[in-house]
Amino acid sequence: MLLFVSQDAHEFLIFLLNELVDILEKEVQAAKDDTESSSLPPERTTNGSKVTQADDIHKEPLVTWVHKKFQGILTNETRCLRCETVTARDEIFLDLSLDIEQNSSITSCLKNFSSIETLNADDKFFCDKCCSLQEAQKRMKIKKPPQILVIQLKRFNYIEQLGRNKKLSYRVAFPLELKLIDYVEEADAVYSLFAVVVHMGSGSSHGHYVSLIKSHHHWLFFDDENVEMIDESAVQTFFGSAQEYSSNTDHGYILFYERDVTNNHD
Amino acid sequence: MINSSNGMMSASSSSSAAGAGGNAPSPGLKTYFKAPEGRYKLHYEKGHPSGLMHYVQGKTATQATVAIVKDKPSPPTPLSQPSSGFSASSGVKSAAAKLLGGSNGSRTFGFVGGNGGSKNLSGSSKLGPFSSNSTNSNLALNFDGKGTYLIFNMGDGLFISDLNSQDKEPMKAIYFNNVYPVCHAFDQDAKDGHDLLIGLSTGDVYSVSLGQQLQDSGKKLVGAQHYNKDGSVNNSRCTCISWVPGGDGAFVVAHADGNMYVYEKSKEGAGDSSFPAIKDPTQFSIAHARHSKSNPITRWHTCQGSINGIAFSSDGTHLATVGRDGYLRVFDYPKEELICGGKSYYGALLCCAWSADGKYILAGGEDDLVQIWSMDDKKVVAWGEGHNSWVSGVAFDSSWSPPDTENSEQIVYRFGSVGQDTQLLLWDLQMEEIVVPQRRPPGGSPTFSSGSQTAQWDNATPLGTLQSAPSMRDIPKISPLVIHRVHTEPLSGLIFTEESILTVCREGHTKVWMRPGTPASQGSSNSETPLSTSLKDKPLLSSIK
Repeated sequence: MLLFVSQDAHEFLIFLLNELVDILEKEVQAAKDDTESSSLPPERTTNGSKVTQADDIHKEPLVTWVHKKFQGILTNETRCLRCETVTARDEIFLDLSLDIEQNSSITSCLKNFSSIETLNADDKFFCDKCCSLQEAQKRMKIKKPPQILVIQLKRFNYIEQLGRNKKLSYRVAFPLELKLIDYVEEADAVYSLFAVVVHMGSGSSHGHYVSLIKSHHHWLFFDDENVEMIDESAVQTFFGSAQEYSSNTDHGYILFYERDVTNNHD
Repeated sequence: MINSSNGMMSASSSSSAAGAGGNAPSPGLKTYFKAPEGRYKLHYEKGHPSGLMHYVQGKTATQATVAIVKDKPSPPTPLSQPSSGFSASSGVKSAAAKLLGGSNGSRTFGFVGGNGGSKNLSGSSKLGPFSSNSTNSNLALNFDGKGTYLIFNMGDGLFISDLNSQDKEPMKAIYFNNVYPVCHAFDQDAKDGHDLLIGLSTGDVYSVSLGQQLQDSGKKLVGAQHYNKDGSVNNSRCTCISWVPGGDGAFVVAHADGNMYVYEKSKEGAGDSSFPAIKDPTQFSIAHARHSKSNPITRWHTCQGSINGIAFSSDGTHLATVGRDGYLRVFDYPKEELICGGKSYYGALLCCAWSADGKYILAGGEDDLVQIWSMDDKKVVAWGEGHNSWVSGVAFDSSWSPPDTENSEQIVYRFGSVGQDTQLLLWDLQMEEIVVPQRRPPGGSPTFSSGSQTAQWDNATPLGTLQSAPSMRDIPKISPLVIHRVHTEPLSGLIFTEESILTVCREGHTKVWMRPGTPASQGSSNSETPLSTSLKDKPLLSSIK
């Protein structure tokens, strides 16, 4: 990298996806302007029924291939502990950022992500039915798993005592196969790992990125201009360090899982 | 960094195990845990030699085997005698002596010929590996054949510890020079000298006499029979090795390419076998060696991808395998037939184990679940949920019996599991208590039925059918009795002995947890008081007596 300031790979990914959407929207807009000027019916992609459920989207959205591939729906369920009313709010997402723990797995991180959190004390919930702040239980549920599940492991956390970000080298095992419950389809969504962005280095503000990508049933290791074939079992060497201050500083940071369409069974 | 020098338990200390909480790499690790039957207490710890280079870390995961060496009809003669005195097995030869001389020769221990005899070190030079910081060579010299030993691999070394001694460092180290011993098995009922099997990362396999290794003072394997030399039959990594119970010296080696081979150690091993090419790699197939004199005698092609674990039922009639493809497979071993099997929830399976009565199989893997497979129902009957990472070791506790078995008709099983989350979990399996959630239309109210009812529907499954992954809502879940973080590194295995539970971590450390009621576990130790903050939930059961 010739950059003087190291950039975060996850920030870049989100930037890239948003930029792609912008470009695609502009293209469609341009095509629409053209067709309108020639008085033909507008050409657009309109199977966005899933997306329009999301409250966040007010204008009628354009569904690009970015959305089709990466977009999923989270449900934020809040249950008021006084009146038991459940308020569910859908949110769309392009990726999941997971808190990590030492010697855990993606399965465990996802479980924690969806675990029930109690809102109390200073963090009470305004219940519309009770018309007041109440204690409540909140939980994030993946309602509609995306086609491509992008998981960012939160390895770079701001540590207040240090006044800066610190890299967490925790060992987080990511399986080659994963499942999420699809509450829309009432089935398990089966995923296969196909790419990993690896951060190398002990600090949060510097280091080097490499990636592992599965192509035609083989795992390839990409390090700048060097590409080599690696054994599937070598993926495990990027899980992280079981103990702090390990000499191993190569850690899986962003995981890409693709939904397996052929293997969807009840 | 390697933490071997911190001396978790010094060799001479008593059973207090005081160090485990206080040393830097083990923050917050408690030296005991409580189960309904009482308190399990860390008795001592076994590790690899402190000088071991850490570059080997991560290359392999440590596996451990407990070897109980009984009285032998003809106890081996101590090494100090001339070579002619060694009589533990037939065919003692001294031809290997010159091969063992070089200290840095690569693989010079290698088996010389094809005639299968044991070889003994005839020279009396004791260039012991323990010259620097160990007095253990005395143990080797006083070796009288009896004892309980812990055998474990780490990097390119295979280590043997006396399980009844408090010494942290092993009494014996055998180095393989840049190839890695990855699995091993011991047969306490071996009829002749060779009772220990060792599988390597190169696919090579050795059989040796454990007693002979302990008598020898060198750092090399001695008197080894070498199979699949230089991977000539199969050059993929050995993953698991097992003696066939009651198999008269037959053993099975599983490899990372989905093949298993059956060997017979009694064979003279005149040459390596050749097998026909595998026609359909997706299908189970058996091939027998073309020549009856060669080893291995049979190839079992079980699956695509690695076989990660194999386990025989105690009577040797059934063989279970688990692998990369996530399937548990159960074979009728004598008939060489696939009986049944099923897929994990997701991901590879890493380990499996039988109940002593052959009715249940445990399997654990990358979905963080412990699955309980019933041989009566030929399906998964429960999932154990409680690990926060991959499940790397499972075992039934065959020494455990429920508190009042006389009044209770139902059988309760105790089993344990360890995971890459560094935790040991103990579970009770009580089939009558397991409730199977009945299939229901979406949105309907949940109703429950007992497991036996649903089992009847599935009994029509034809022989040899592999079941697809169950849905999360169809399998009843059980919760662990005990969750205890035992190491700082991911765990790789656990072993139940009569007196203790052994937990093994990937980086070569084993902890010995004494069962409640054993003398060592009752040794009162004041050191536990600062650690007991989270013990408020239950009264102590064992140490009050």
